[in-house]
Amino acid sequence: MGSVKAVGRARDIRLAYLLLAPAVLLLLTVLAYPVGWEVWTSLTDLSPLKDGAPEYVGFTNYRRLLAGAEFWRPALVTVVYAVVTSGAKLALGLGFALLLARSFRGRALVFLAVFLPWAYPAGVSVIGWYWTLNPPTTTAYAPFMGHLKYAVDGTFGTGAWAFVSVILFNIWRGSSFIGVLLLAGINAVPPELFECAVLESKSPWRRFWLVTVPLLKPFLALAVFLSLTSAFADLANVWMLTAGRIVFPIIGTHAYFLAIKAGQYGPASALSLTLVPVLLGVLLVLFRLFDPPRREAA
Amino acid sequence: MAQVMMKDLNKKYDEVHAVKDVNLHIRDKEFVVLVGPSGCGKSTTLRMVAGLEEITAGEITIGDRIVNDLPPKDRDIAMVFQNYALYPHMTVYDNMAFGLKMRKFPKPEIAKRVQDAAEILGIQELLKRKPRQLSGGQRQRVAVGRAIVRHPQVFLFDEPLSNLDAKLRVQMRVELKRLHERLETTAIYVTHDQVEAMTLGDRVVVMKDGWIQQVGEPLELYGKPANRFVAGFIGSPAMNFVEVTVADANGALWADTPGFRVKVPLASAGRLGPYRGQRVTLGIRPEDLRVATGSDGADHSFDTVVEVVEPLGSEILLDLKAGPNVIVARVEPTVRVKHSDKMRLALHPERVHFFDNKTELAI
Repeated sequence: MGSVKAVGRARDIRLAYLLLAPAVLLLLTVLAYPVGWEVWTSLTDLSPLKDGAPEYVGFTNYRRLLAGAEFWRPALVTVVYAVVTSGAKLALGLGFALLLARSFRGRALVFLAVFLPWAYPAGVSVIGWYWTLNPPTTTAYAPFMGHLKYAVDGTFGTGAWAFVSVILFNIWRGSSFIGVLLLAGINAVPPELFECAVLESKSPWRRFWLVTVPLLKPFLALAVFLSLTSAFADLANVWMLTAGRIVFPIIGTHAYFLAIKAGQYGPASALSLTLVPVLLGVLLVLFRLFDPPRREAA
Repeated sequence: MAQVMMKDLNKKYDEVHAVKDVNLHIRDKEFVVLVGPSGCGKSTTLRMVAGLEEITAGEITIGDRIVNDLPPKDRDIAMVFQNYALYPHMTVYDNMAFGLKMRKFPKPEIAKRVQDAAEILGIQELLKRKPRQLSGGQRQRVAVGRAIVRHPQVFLFDEPLSNLDAKLRVQMRVELKRLHERLETTAIYVTHDQVEAMTLGDRVVVMKDGWIQQVGEPLELYGKPANRFVAGFIGSPAMNFVEVTVADANGALWADTPGFRVKVPLASAGRLGPYRGQRVTLGIRPEDLRVATGSDGADHSFDTVVEVVEPLGSEILLDLKAGPNVIVARVEPTVRVKHSDKMRLALHPERVHFFDNKTELAI
């Protein structure tokens, strides 16, 4: 009996590995190998500008990065970018979600308006933003936007207006997504939990902090994480909104610049890899909040 | 002290008129049950009392205050929801203390009230647990506890037992009744279960399509239903309805239908007089039918054929055919019959009901 069972079990295990194989293969080819390659590159002086085989340089690239403004300035800009946009997106998104959770006339239209920025391809809408903020031709917007640009750049330095526009675009698009995400969260909470709070308190503010926020905690944590990642890992939006004239580089754009424009693969890899521990840390902190309230059995 | 009055109460949504001209006077300390099929407006009525739904027209008074424009918090009510509505992120203690905390009661007072309620409900051991660690019955106790600690003027129950299994439901039903006798607080209780309504209610309000059909003590609804709907809704198995013609013969009125013919008892004869020659609906409860004996006259007995036998242990339910009519009878467990046996049934003449075919009102 026992041996029959053991044979059956061994066959099950083989089958399990067989079924896992395609997924493992896919992960190895599209994730593990590229990351491994990047880690290795960050430890070499690989460059298209250098002849011969790349040499192993140890942590030289990292040491140089941490010693100079090449890392600290983009890092600071990235943090400002991520924190400002995440805060604004969370506030706006939560507002949208709370608004859309009520029923009112024209709710479908408002929902569409809220969802559109996310649903619309970023590559197209970013050009719309670029043209609105930096009008290519004279339109009704042009004089006003021109004044605004000079005022902002005049106060905070050249390129500030471009940086502000990147932030605004990220908020515009991201709050749409977070609004829809949190709306799904609110809809997943039994309405009685909110009604019960209405019976006990007149103050929407108290109800919000004591009931809504704790109930939405797992969804808020997810929203914060996705929002931070989208800012930390941004490249395309910044590049397109500034037409490549980046005065305030973030880590993503600077790594791109180092690798593609300057041909320094090693330092570029090292720079982009500095994001990994940061994101891991954020994920770990938020993961503790993820634990969703288990559904009460009906 | 805390009576609840509903005057010409109406609720209209865009397309639906959910509650229609409800007038109800619930006395202090009374336990009133609103019962009816889904969509009858019972829950909407309760939610208007709670303040969770706006009142389209009419007036609700709790105690001596008109509460139409009072926010729910100031109505001095406490509500128990069907799915318990416990906060998953709070312990049992915090759930029970929730209302008092929101109202900024002092901490010692909260602790005392929660302890007292926990003791009444026998859940002292559970105070530190989270709702997900509790069984359905325990959660329901916590939900009731959260209402008790508020010492409200009126308890509102919205189908509180519907999520429990049958056995637990019966047990909690008894506990709720005992609790009400102990706390002596006015209670409004919504359910779709007529057994719950009959067993719990001092008075029962039967609703359908937004209208109140009848208000009365449980046995009054059972014995003297105001219309065909109430007659069919209250009682299980449901009352039998047979369409009959009111015929005049041998100086008496008869209810006549292919399959049987029974004499109308004198008590109903007067009221049935105007219906002579017309069709009405005769109603008879399964428990008011029995196997006929030699002493049962032909006036109120008739022949049937057994179609289905359902032995329940304490009784037997029989589906019988009398001509084209199918009739359910509840008979003694000692009766031995089987499919297609012939059987003579007698009905309790005093317990026959008649309903107008058009208005469906009791005659």
